[in-house]
Amino acid sequence: MSKLQANISGIIKSSVIDGPGNRMVIFFQECNLNCMYCHNSHTIGLCNLCGTCVDTCPTNSLKIDSENKRIIHNENTCTRCDECIKVCPENSSPFYKQMSVEDVICEILEVKDFISGITVSGGEVMLHAPFLSLLFQEIKSHSDLKHLSILIDSNGNIEQEKWNSLLPLIDGVMLDIKAYSAKTHKQITGYSNEKILKSIEYLNDKNKLKELRFVLTPDYNNDESELREIAKLMKSVSPNVGKTLIKMRNYGIRKEFSFLREASSEEMNFAKNIFVQADIDILVI
Amino acid sequence: MEEIKNRVLQVLSDGNLDYRQKKHHLAYIAESTQDYPDILKEATEALNEKIICDLFEGNAPYRPRYVLPDYAYALKNGVNYLELEPPTNFDEAINFLSILYLQVPSITGYSVYLGDIDTLLLDYVGDLSEDKIYKKMKLFWRFIDRTLPDAFVHINIGPEDNVIARVILRIERELKQVVPNLTLKYDPEITSDELLLEASKTVFEVAKPHIANHKMTAADFKGEYGVVSCYNSLPVGGGSHTLIRLNLKKITDLHSGNAESFISGTLKKYCEMTLDVIEARSKYLVECVKYYDTDFLAKEGIISLDNFSAMFGFYGLAECVNQLMKRCGKELCYGKDEEANQLAHLILEEMKKIVDARELPYCKANNGKAFFHAQSGIDIDIEETAGARIPIGSEPDIYSHINTVAPHHHLFNGGISDIFHFDETVKRNPAAILDIIKGAFRKGMRMFTFNLSNGEFIRITGYLVRRSDLKEFREEGSRYGSALFAANSMDNANVDNRVSKRVISNEQVAGKY
Repeated sequence: MSKLQANISGIIKSSVIDGPGNRMVIFFQECNLNCMYCHNSHTIGLCNLCGTCVDTCPTNSLKIDSENKRIIHNENTCTRCDECIKVCPENSSPFYKQMSVEDVICEILEVKDFISGITVSGGEVMLHAPFLSLLFQEIKSHSDLKHLSILIDSNGNIEQEKWNSLLPLIDGVMLDIKAYSAKTHKQITGYSNEKILKSIEYLNDKNKLKELRFVLTPDYNNDESELREIAKLMKSVSPNVGKTLIKMRNYGIRKEFSFLREASSEEMNFAKNIFVQADIDILVI
Repeated sequence: MEEIKNRVLQVLSDGNLDYRQKKHHLAYIAESTQDYPDILKEATEALNEKIICDLFEGNAPYRPRYVLPDYAYALKNGVNYLELEPPTNFDEAINFLSILYLQVPSITGYSVYLGDIDTLLLDYVGDLSEDKIYKKMKLFWRFIDRTLPDAFVHINIGPEDNVIARVILRIERELKQVVPNLTLKYDPEITSDELLLEASKTVFEVAKPHIANHKMTAADFKGEYGVVSCYNSLPVGGGSHTLIRLNLKKITDLHSGNAESFISGTLKKYCEMTLDVIEARSKYLVECVKYYDTDFLAKEGIISLDNFSAMFGFYGLAECVNQLMKRCGKELCYGKDEEANQLAHLILEEMKKIVDARELPYCKANNGKAFFHAQSGIDIDIEETAGARIPIGSEPDIYSHINTVAPHHHLFNGGISDIFHFDETVKRNPAAILDIIKGAFRKGMRMFTFNLSNGEFIRITGYLVRRSDLKEFREEGSRYGSALFAANSMDNANVDNRVSKRVISNEQVAGKY
């Protein structure tokens, strides 16, 4: 098997919210957006061994292993106070691990009898397209795993050609649109949305867009014209694509973005009505 | 005599009991005036100390504990005693069963098994539309709940997907009744995913049905089987004379050595003693009361002594294992640590061997042996965890939980239950439940029961109660006999806080007076 490795920030062995059925979810480290309301901001960056977390840890559970260029984490003394995550200047974490395709396959085999499939998520998982390609091929050629469905949870901010080798191996992609106007998108995520809009169109054409989600962020993307554009976009994809309106929750977001506020029920209803008027079957969560 | 008079007066003047409940308790007091079936003094002491528990079956067994009438036989042949001709259409079939249900004895006074109802009624559907079936079944369901108000009253559906099973699930979701308790017999090769999905959605609303591994359970019986009362699997056309359970925690308290001597000494001694009680009670029922010679169900072939056996139950495995581990100086717990889990398996296998080695009279249904049963607990169990379950509140993640308990499920031909709890979010993705149920059965689980957190229905140990009934009962009594049991369980066993869930039964109520 390939020596290719990926930084995995976590694995959830039973999830009922990451696609149909009971699924194992593999979270990859590193993201190419920086959303204000990111609930897993410690999965955005990569560790540069600056040592801030090592100096901060109240139980001295972290050490720099300079030879192997990694942080050693002592699980026995760590109390998971998460101070390390809070102080990390890189939006990273000392907890993510390098795993090979083989390592991930072993984890899946452990729970294969209980799941419909796997979902890969992030961070931005498409930054690891070569690893994913190998992982998915391995799953599809494994007699005990080939029945599993494979879903990608992506932000779509990726060149179109990156999708090509993966599409024949997967069942679908779940994708967020943070805003339609490039300016608003940049405000929310730090980046423009051209690639994302292209990804949506491309995946829809290839019949691989499973779900399109929109996170309502008051004072940013909740004005009527923006909502109507999002509705138009949702209407442009196949009716078979699941559409979801998500209320931004400010629990667990970074301190510097604590000014963000959750939508009131009136604001949620206002947004919902725009989608309903556009004849979109939308799930609100 | 003075004591009896006082007990009787207490029942008569208890404003929380309705007329029928009073009559049931008065009968229990009358029965208690008889001598207990012939057992050794040591066994009597063990019963008094609740080391061995007869679940308040009474001193003088005059009816079997669990009766599973062969309703199909009755429908086909009619019942002379009740002057019932074989029904010829759906209405007549429902009417026939409604009458028969009221005549089936049990410890609680209400039949614990109402049949594999979809299979029974399918023959009478004729050209009835689904809507007509639905209307008729809804009235039937109301009749069952109002006339058999006991959560141990149990009905089965499946494994085939059919219109009646689906209509029942719909009615369950609409009526939200405690009674009847419900089991879906599930076989991945026979049952459709759609029916299992309907069943799971029904669990979200009313915490039932339980899902039984049909293939695995059916293989343990010569003929048809039914799931009755609290996860007891028993032969149709027969049942169980009695269920006596051994308190593994208490016998561990009495034991003074290590795990090895526990298994070879104390455990063996008390298992044999429990089997002695089972034997004495079965003989009393068959030989002294002559139940099977005199009851119309037996006389008319709706049940047969040959289809009966008895049940050997136990509870408190978790406490037993944890204590034995402690004695070896190890702070290892059942459900959490592999070494403790292994000891648990060893104890269960040893018990099964002892039960299987003992030839019992009148237990032909299981080749002269008792059915082995992990008893799901009653309200007085304060210090003991039900059967072989992992204690409430210390259940591990769902996969570890299943992997801990599944390896011993095959031992329990008399039934076993573990209860799993899911977060409300699963409502949006019921297919996830299907994955887990199928996985659990692949791992060898016999029965899968789950609840949603904060549901209106709560499983106490094997039966259901409504949260509102519990509240009401504490204030003014309840129409359901089992509500008292449940209220006690909630108070005693922390069942409301379990990380996984299930409900209890009514047998001990009379013992209160």
